[in-house]
Amino acid sequence: MVETSKTEAAAAASFDKICSARHLRLVKRLIAWLLLGPGLLISLAAQQPHWSLRPITSPPVPPAKMAHPIDAFIGQRLKEAQLEPSAPADRRTLIRRLHFDLHGLPPTPEDVEAFVNDPDPKAYEKLVDSLLDSPHFGERFARHWLDIAHYADTHGFERDKLRPDAWPYRDYVIRAFNADKPYARFLQEQIAGDVLWPNDPDAVVATGFLAAGPWDFVGQVETKSPILRRSARALDLDDMMTQVMTATTAMTVNCARCHDHKLDKIPQEDYYRLTAVFAGLKRGSRNVSDDALAQHNARKKAIEDKLSQAQFAIGELEGRGIDLADVVGGGNGFGTGRKGIGLDARTAKVQERPFGDLGNVKPGNYAKSAYNFVDGVFVPAKGETPISSTDLKATGLPANGGKAWDMIRNGPVASQHSTEWGGVDYNKADHSLLGLHANAGITFDLAAIRKATGINGLRFSTVVGYGGITVQPSAEFRVLVDGKLAAHQRIGRKDAVTVEFNLSDDARFLTLISTDGGNGYSHDQISFGNPRLTPIKPKQLTADDQKKLEQLRRQKARLEMELANLGEPPKFYGVIPEQPPVVKVLHRGNPESPRDPASPGTLRWVKGLKADFGDHNMPEGQRRAALAKWITHANNPLTRRVIVNRLWQWHFGRGIVDTPSDFGRGGQKPTHPELLDWLAEELRLRKGSLKAITRLIVTSATYRQVSHTVHGKATDADNRFLWRQNPRRLQAEAMRDAVLATSGKLNHKAGGPGYRDFKYTQAYAPIYQYITPDTPDLWRRSIYRFVVRTTPHEFLTTLDCPDPANLTPKRLTTTTPLQALTLSNNPFMLKQTGYFAMRLKQDAGALPENQIVRAFQLAFSRPPTPIEAKAALQTVRTKGLFALCHAVLNANEFAYVD
Amino acid sequence: MSTSSRRDFLRTAGGGFGLMALGDLLAREPQPAGHHPAKAKAVIQIFCPGGMSQVDTWDHKPELAKRNGTPFDPGGKLQFFASKPGNCQGSHWTFQKHGACGRPMSALFPRLATCVDDMAFVHSMHSKSALHGPAMFMMNSGFILPGFPSMGAWVTYGLGSEANNLPGYVVLPDPRGLPPGGVLNWGAGFLPAKQQGTPMQTAADKPPLADLFAPDEFKSNPRDANLLSLLNRRHAAGRPGNSELEARIKAYEMAAKLQLSAPEATGITGESAATQKLYQLADEDIGPFGRQCLLARRLVERGVRFVQIFCGAENTTARKIRPNWDSHEDLPRDHGYWGRVLDGGAAALLKDLKVRGLLDETLVICTTEFGRQPAAQGSQGQGRDHNAGAFTAWLAGGGIRGGTSYGATDELGWKAAVNPTYSYDFHATALHLLGIDHERLSFYHNGIQRRLTDVHGHVIKELII
Repeated sequence: MVETSKTEAAAAASFDKICSARHLRLVKRLIAWLLLGPGLLISLAAQQPHWSLRPITSPPVPPAKMAHPIDAFIGQRLKEAQLEPSAPADRRTLIRRLHFDLHGLPPTPEDVEAFVNDPDPKAYEKLVDSLLDSPHFGERFARHWLDIAHYADTHGFERDKLRPDAWPYRDYVIRAFNADKPYARFLQEQIAGDVLWPNDPDAVVATGFLAAGPWDFVGQVETKSPILRRSARALDLDDMMTQVMTATTAMTVNCARCHDHKLDKIPQEDYYRLTAVFAGLKRGSRNVSDDALAQHNARKKAIEDKLSQAQFAIGELEGRGIDLADVVGGGNGFGTGRKGIGLDARTAKVQERPFGDLGNVKPGNYAKSAYNFVDGVFVPAKGETPISSTDLKATGLPANGGKAWDMIRNGPVASQHSTEWGGVDYNKADHSLLGLHANAGITFDLAAIRKATGINGLRFSTVVGYGGITVQPSAEFRVLVDGKLAAHQRIGRKDAVTVEFNLSDDARFLTLISTDGGNGYSHDQISFGNPRLTPIKPKQLTADDQKKLEQLRRQKARLEMELANLGEPPKFYGVIPEQPPVVKVLHRGNPESPRDPASPGTLRWVKGLKADFGDHNMPEGQRRAALAKWITHANNPLTRRVIVNRLWQWHFGRGIVDTPSDFGRGGQKPTHPELLDWLAEELRLRKGSLKAITRLIVTSATYRQVSHTVHGKATDADNRFLWRQNPRRLQAEAMRDAVLATSGKLNHKAGGPGYRDFKYTQAYAPIYQYITPDTPDLWRRSIYRFVVRTTPHEFLTTLDCPDPANLTPKRLTTTTPLQALTLSNNPFMLKQTGYFAMRLKQDAGALPENQIVRAFQLAFSRPPTPIEAKAALQTVRTKGLFALCHAVLNANEFAYVD
Repeated sequence: MSTSSRRDFLRTAGGGFGLMALGDLLAREPQPAGHHPAKAKAVIQIFCPGGMSQVDTWDHKPELAKRNGTPFDPGGKLQFFASKPGNCQGSHWTFQKHGACGRPMSALFPRLATCVDDMAFVHSMHSKSALHGPAMFMMNSGFILPGFPSMGAWVTYGLGSEANNLPGYVVLPDPRGLPPGGVLNWGAGFLPAKQQGTPMQTAADKPPLADLFAPDEFKSNPRDANLLSLLNRRHAAGRPGNSELEARIKAYEMAAKLQLSAPEATGITGESAATQKLYQLADEDIGPFGRQCLLARRLVERGVRFVQIFCGAENTTARKIRPNWDSHEDLPRDHGYWGRVLDGGAAALLKDLKVRGLLDETLVICTTEFGRQPAAQGSQGQGRDHNAGAFTAWLAGGGIRGGTSYGATDELGWKAAVNPTYSYDFHATALHLLGIDHERLSFYHNGIQRRLTDVHGHVIKELII
């Protein structure tokens, strides 16, 4: 199959050449080692550190005619290589280049004409400034940074669950680039923002960086095997540490996990000292800040209180009574509770996530609940068991296996087979379900309920069913009033037992119990359908009552809307710190072979900076704060070199160092070391402003050269000396965004949860099926896509969008027939082609000649040449406007930036 | 396209390529013959996701049957993936010796039993993970983390493809759904994206490739290839320095050819009635897998370098049985079903390849991500839990010495005891048969020259002719 790729050459080279070169180098080093002895070699290395570890110098700008310092540095090397730079590109080329580089979007035809016709000699600089000031700048640069952070919106691995609160970090990155946050601060926030600025929500959300990578639910939570858990945890920490160190310092510390680094001076111990910095972190959802949460909760409570009052009043008028499942869900019995919320029968703690088999179960232990209407919960013991805070006891309970599963829930329990019995699905609207998997019990406080609602004369009713798969009666339920048995039965899949009785007004406790029937607790998913306390005497409504009821219902609807608009508490996916365990060096990287302890610290070779942070007792937060300080210290020669190199790469397609996340001996050497240092110094002088460095780069004549010349090919085929600009193909996301911009359908809505252009089906491993995005909410910029890890986006992946399992410091570009198929046949492309045609008619009227001009201006930022116009006219006349639009969107000129 | 014809293409591709660019591409082409003469030209890998039980299939353990019902772990210290070990549970199927080699195989595979003299077993496989996702990745890419290139990606990266109008690495997923870990199982990792496996739709009534044709609603919208060509030619003429432009023009021409070649490769109506019967295409259970196997043969015939077939899914809501080999509750039911499926398709494939003289140059691999416990699991004792300690993989054709085996488990089939082997040796051996030295097929990524075999791997000479 015929395919070529920009990186194929480099890739294929490694097949043999690099490998043997590497071997040769290793052999040479080995010989040197043997000749000189290890000690000597190290002292030699100490005198001659690797180029990237030497202090940043302030090289003088070479004397040159060129006014721009970058051009002086570039010009010097070109001169040495006897190469001439290329001519400056015209304004049409420049504005398209700048727009794609700084915004990832094409310029509008109006932008182009205004710039081309601007008489101001400083028109270019003005354009650069306005593009840097636009919010699209952050959207474009965030894409680069999120590649390095391997950000996605699902956990990855086998289960690949949703991570619906990952996006606040993505928005943070966009905001940070737009605000031109000083680079040191940008890094400090991402590594230790929650420690250094705990009251700044932005700084706290920034730590989403540490958790942006994949997380193995099965390996870290689901499996019961401690060996598998240790292995998964070791990989988790490796991912976190590797991401931080390669992103910021381009040091491949990850290579020292099993042995000392083969090329760089990174002993294995350093890997574990760095791991100790992160060893207290787990990935998970957390509050942005206590203040923000308190504010949110206060607002929520105010609405809920009003809602409760309305619901009480409605409930009383309607005579519907209290829903006990809603009470379990944290509600007032009238619908304020949340589905799926559960109470832990061991501790009465409120839990949201699903649990399986519970450990540390103590039958006969009674746990008092913080809920107003629930007295407490318990796991029943055989014979006698306490069932209330007043030490009431149930007697005559059957033997059970002493095990418990999941929580007592408002809704089905984890893995419940069915929620339907007697022909009614109690999980559907207008029904409710209290899930009570054996062995567990819950006691409601009837006195508290009467007091709060003012309802006397209560009647209890429910339809008890068995949610498991077992047909034979397998588990028992019991209903007790003040410890006295009111109902009990052993039931299986086919049973539906109605329980109804009146409660006397002095009854204090209502208790529900499920036990496993003595044959193991598997599948024993006892469930209470529509468990309610209703007034015995239904109220006769007067006309006034009826009017009042209508009013209350309207008020309730309004309050519910208000509550929905309030949304979830401000949470985000980040790291949850706790005091780290003692980290040990793992022999050959094996978690089952721990050796000597390693205390928190970092690489030792930055002069004047402390590499040992503290001992094993050092508090978690201080470890990260220390590393953030080390990374961003002015004396650390790597950090600034690494970021200015990345900025360079983002504008030329290739860095001054072509291995942007490896500044070690295994990486490439800089083509322009003095320029790299000069830029790194400029970054310091310009107070860490990435926009300032970007402005420097794009205003250089080097950046502004044309890209189509060939005069330097013989000397410098790869254009390492930049005798011209590099032509570049649009990246996958920019391609999609450009198609939408050209068709006129791009939705500029910024920020917030990502758009989901897939159908989601809940399953053991959730199923993500991509759909044709054909509604405005799915036409947002690609940076706002909800990124699924294990089911990559087919359209974008075909166009070289990288796998978010990997840290991607530099994207690869391939050219394949599958891309051609996708761009010419994919339904999204064809729909957009149709919209593009419709837009041309709207913009340019009915005359094909005008439509054609508009099409070229929108897609290529230029009018057609006479020959093109003639051919296009022929196409429109014989085959229609769609055919023209299809050709234009598939043309090389659309996909490439000169 | 073979390496030499690939060179020819580059040489004759016309003015779009600047001389230097052409020189670059040629100088960096892989060695046409690989590192040493190859015995196999192509690979068909059958992957049985979910974890196949070795003691019920290929690894005969009489001692386990003797201890049936006795405690497996008298000390009570072991904790498996999801459970504590139950009692010893011998094979649910009887074992018998087969073929001239007299190797034992369980009654689960009556058809494969007649191919045993062509098959070589590695009984001492083990994995670094007992979790499906990571273990799948390990058997496919040599690493338990996602993001590493799969074996098919490495092979096509090293050797290119001989298929003129088809992708070099084709994946045939189970029509019921994707395996655990999803499409990352055939990902290119950090290799160029073109090395990733191209999944072909295996259901009979669907186009074989995504976006191969426009959907029906756009069928009536005409296109103009001439206009596209004119725009591209004029654009390229002004940009002699950019060789990618010519490649992209070619890619569109190739795409048009794929619209013919892909349906041709997957259209099996021309296959004889005897062949269709051999693959049991009419059988409700075996038929879909039989079709995958038949497609694999047709693809290899057309020069595709690497075909990966999945015998089992995940990500599916099918309820009748377990969607793959992951038999926690009822192994006789689930292995019974999947065993019959594998037996039918794989035996047909081996026999068909042999009759056509293709088996000698086609390496057939059958593997799973890990094995299962010799102890029973579940209240009925009919299941088995995950076991990373031992499993069996087999190879056939392509330079493999049939009727042999390598390595062994302990007397209960619990752990690899003799010559324990991770994916590394297995992959090294497969690459060796393809003419590739696994230590020299590498790619620089984040500070390391990465390999399929990490820093490990020995060719298992005992299995090679």
